[in-house]
Amino acid sequence: MNNSSVYLWLRQKPRIAFFMCLPLILMVICLIIYPFIYSIFLSMLNKAETKFVGIGNYLFLFKRETFWLVVQQSIFFALVAVFFKALIGFIAAHSINTIPSKGQRKWRGMLLIPWVIPPALSTLGWWWLFEPTYSALNWFLVKISLPAIPWLSETFWARFSIILVNIWVGAPFFLIMYLAALKSIPQDLYEAASIDGANYRQKLYYITLPMMKNIISITILFSIIVTFANFDIVRVLTRGGPIDTTHLFATYAFRVGIESGDIPLGAAVSLFMFPILGILAFIILRNVRKRAMEV
Amino acid sequence: MKKSNLHRRKFLKGLSATSGYAIAAPYVKTAHSAGRLLLGIWDHWIPGANDVLENILVSWGEKNGVEVKVDFITSIGNKLLLTAQAESRAKTGHDVFSMPTWYPSMFKHRLEPLDDVVEDIISKHGPLLESAKFYAYLEGHWRGSPAPTGSFFDAMVSRFDLFKEHAGIDLQTIFPANENRDANLINDWNWDTFLIAAEKLYKAGKPFGATIGATPDSRWLGALFTSYGAELVNKDGDITVNSDEVKQVLEYMSKLTQFMPKSIYAWDDSSNNRWLISGQGSAIFNPASAWAVAKRDNPKIAKKLWHHDFPRGPKGRYRPDNSQFWGLWDFAENKSAAKDLLRYIAEPHVVDACIKASQGYDIPLIISHFNKNNTWIEASPPDGVLYNYPMRGDEIPVAVGYPAPPGIASQITTQYVIANLTARVTSKGHSFEKAIKWAENELEGVMRG
Amino acid sequence: MKNNILNIKNSMHANRRWALIAAYTSLIIFVIFFLFPPYYMLITSLKTNKEIAEMASNPWLIEQGVTLKHYIYLFTETPFLTFFKNTIIVTVCVVIITMIISVLAAYSLSRLKFWGSGVLATGIFLTYLVPETLLFIPLFKIVGWLGLLNSYWVLVLVYPTLSVPFCTWLMIGYFSSIPKEIDEAALIDGANHMQMLLKVFIPVAMPGLIAATIFAFTVSWAGFLYPLAFIYSESEMVLTVGTVTTLIKGDVFNWGSLMSGALLAAAPPVIIYAFLMDYYIAGLTSGATKG
Repeated sequence: MNNSSVYLWLRQKPRIAFFMCLPLILMVICLIIYPFIYSIFLSMLNKAETKFVGIGNYLFLFKRETFWLVVQQSIFFALVAVFFKALIGFIAAHSINTIPSKGQRKWRGMLLIPWVIPPALSTLGWWWLFEPTYSALNWFLVKISLPAIPWLSETFWARFSIILVNIWVGAPFFLIMYLAALKSIPQDLYEAASIDGANYRQKLYYITLPMMKNIISITILFSIIVTFANFDIVRVLTRGGPIDTTHLFATYAFRVGIESGDIPLGAAVSLFMFPILGILAFIILRNVRKRAMEV
Repeated sequence: MKKSNLHRRKFLKGLSATSGYAIAAPYVKTAHSAGRLLLGIWDHWIPGANDVLENILVSWGEKNGVEVKVDFITSIGNKLLLTAQAESRAKTGHDVFSMPTWYPSMFKHRLEPLDDVVEDIISKHGPLLESAKFYAYLEGHWRGSPAPTGSFFDAMVSRFDLFKEHAGIDLQTIFPANENRDANLINDWNWDTFLIAAEKLYKAGKPFGATIGATPDSRWLGALFTSYGAELVNKDGDITVNSDEVKQVLEYMSKLTQFMPKSIYAWDDSSNNRWLISGQGSAIFNPASAWAVAKRDNPKIAKKLWHHDFPRGPKGRYRPDNSQFWGLWDFAENKSAAKDLLRYIAEPHVVDACIKASQGYDIPLIISHFNKNNTWIEASPPDGVLYNYPMRGDEIPVAVGYPAPPGIASQITTQYVIANLTARVTSKGHSFEKAIKWAENELEGVMRG
Repeated sequence: MKNNILNIKNSMHANRRWALIAAYTSLIIFVIFFLFPPYYMLITSLKTNKEIAEMASNPWLIEQGVTLKHYIYLFTETPFLTFFKNTIIVTVCVVIITMIISVLAAYSLSRLKFWGSGVLATGIFLTYLVPETLLFIPLFKIVGWLGLLNSYWVLVLVYPTLSVPFCTWLMIGYFSSIPKEIDEAALIDGANHMQMLLKVFIPVAMPGLIAATIFAFTVSWAGFLYPLAFIYSESEMVLTVGTVTTLIKGDVFNWGSLMSGALLAAAPPVIIYAFLMDYYIAGLTSGATKG
């Protein structure tokens, strides 16, 4: 009957697969792809959203000194912050893995806390730590006879501060990912290497790192994308200042888009992130996919 | 599919859980109500002020057969702006919405013209402040009606004890808490004498501080520029930043900033309050909130504060304007009720009640209204601290970016061009030419349609 | 011969000792760096307003008496508990939705092939290239049309976009590492795909599931931009936005309450992690990584 043939048709592997994937596909299309395409369209309108100006907004951005400053700053911010997050995460994961398993739990718990406190709120705490009048950090520095640091009012320190807070918030994520990966490396490999006389460094380079390559790549990629698009931390700490020297794409887009009422221009700024990140993602993911195929 | 089923159930659940004023619920017309009005109003930070306003609005509604509902929306995190953006894009939401400073200009294509309302108000109560007109009278139409709350104007807030001791200036005498001002003393209070005082205070370890950064508090620079006649863009829309007057102001700022703390470039809107309350500072530019918080956290300092006029510049005495309006979305359904309400809130007794509730923080836009209010006379300690908070003398409130056409002035404000221009010279050490060139580039960007 | 073994054993001990010292040292340094801000927030939340505003007092210690005033204020005079309730509802819903979507998608992408599945598996990650700060504006229209403006259900709708891609990727990784022999054995026994998923894959990939749950929970609990953009009534707000908007009024910050709010907002995730992490790690050492 019709029923059973439909049923059989449904039971075929690709069909089931497709239906299982459907919620995901629907969500992505409705809530990510459609708005994305709409914002591309939006970025090609003039300020009053009455005329179509094609790439006019982008050309305009290219001529602005502030825009290129933002590009530079975003790339620098993302690369430096991710590097340190990965480094700290890796060292911490390795250290936790080295100590006896009974004690691991509490260290792991303590080190996870920065990631667990909602960043919007912990950044406020940091801001209070940096606040020019009441900074607890400066109080401490002055107590040990060092000069107070203008955490947020001078370009160098402002950049330092936003990177520092970003590292603080993000390192635990790297910690968890790396710890999980470390734990899945079979211990026998290490034992065999020790018997062969390998020292610590050799074990690290020849066993640990290669086995973790995938995880390292994916986590770094994910973090670069998310860090590049960071909004909360800069918004709360410096709002892009002083003199636009800590602006990232998202905060600059917010300034020219929302605050100045030129949404198309804001969309153009935000969209500019896409090609830069896309290239990066393509490179990294291609390597990962190759390895996944091998498995 | 699974997900959308789940969602549909949740939508319906959500709709009933919320007050149901979303989407298609048209304004309920029952036998005894002439419709419904939804207001999205700026959340007043002074405790209790919101309740007073809400009571006024709801009782008006009851008397006139309109169901009035008010939502108070904060401006923290640009929430108010985001909500306005959301509503104007989605063409759904409230009917009447708070429109501070440049919002009428930003949303003018979505706001109902309110010429009839404002003209009625002016003919009944007298003129509005000129600066208010600058914000809301756009392309021949009023897009905002004066709000009963939320308009404030930064005054200078100083430690009169420090000024007396270190700078030899008696602020309480120059700006007494009564009508008897000495014209000569007032005249002497100009930017040059202020500079001398600033130096003395700095040397005494208690400098004056004011924000120079990408935050609304840096609007005092707009008043400074205007008082020197320095225009970034003139009223015809020509870029005039490369002028002697601008260079004069930059020259002045180069000197003044030497006597200010270096952290001002990173100050946000609350930093100057904290700095004054901590005792480190001798003067800031702020509305009455700094003193209000000092009363709570550091009463010793609060007793020594005094609000008074800005210094005078070669072209006049100006102070920053933060007018607030209420606008009517063009997609609102109950426009006639809304307009009646807008007329009602301009009544003196409404404005009076709101000023009292705000403890004097708000200053009304209708000139006749603040001339008769006692809140500022009665505030203390110290006695008379708020007397000169509203404009008593020859101060003229002015919007940042004045006299440029509103579309451009709004951009100058929201992109903090003046603050950035000043900071480039005073903090980065750029030459005037270099900084002015940067400003010209920025302004060209701002001019595009 | 014996000597050699002894030597190796000794040097392994020495290595081990050195490794332990290095490990503990770096852990202590990290713990100080990671925990001093929450410590500071805790201290501030217990200080009186007066002491917070005082310049001369030590910001790292409480000198003028501990006060619970800020916590009490939070519970009695702000809608903090409402925020809490809303956040819990939103987060639980989002986690459930995320796990359902991700697990189904991951199973199908790792095990069953259909046209474009390879591209989807890799491309799912690319959705992160479109950040919230870009999406929230076009979403105004969609959300408005659905009538979800100013309701916390809007978050239940949009938060999954932040968690699902990563969780899917995570689950694909776990599912891929399950040996195909298990599949075949189950198929021979007559199981269909749903049964295989539920009875075989999920138990084996439990650590991955827990990791994904943790991730979804964190992302949803900490969301800030979407609620900021779409919700303005206090009765609908979630913890992050609610705390910030009710405790910061104009240019007045209630630091004591803000800090206490921040810590209380962080407490549930910490507690949940304390429980789940154990299962996670335990699962790892006995899960799909073996055999």
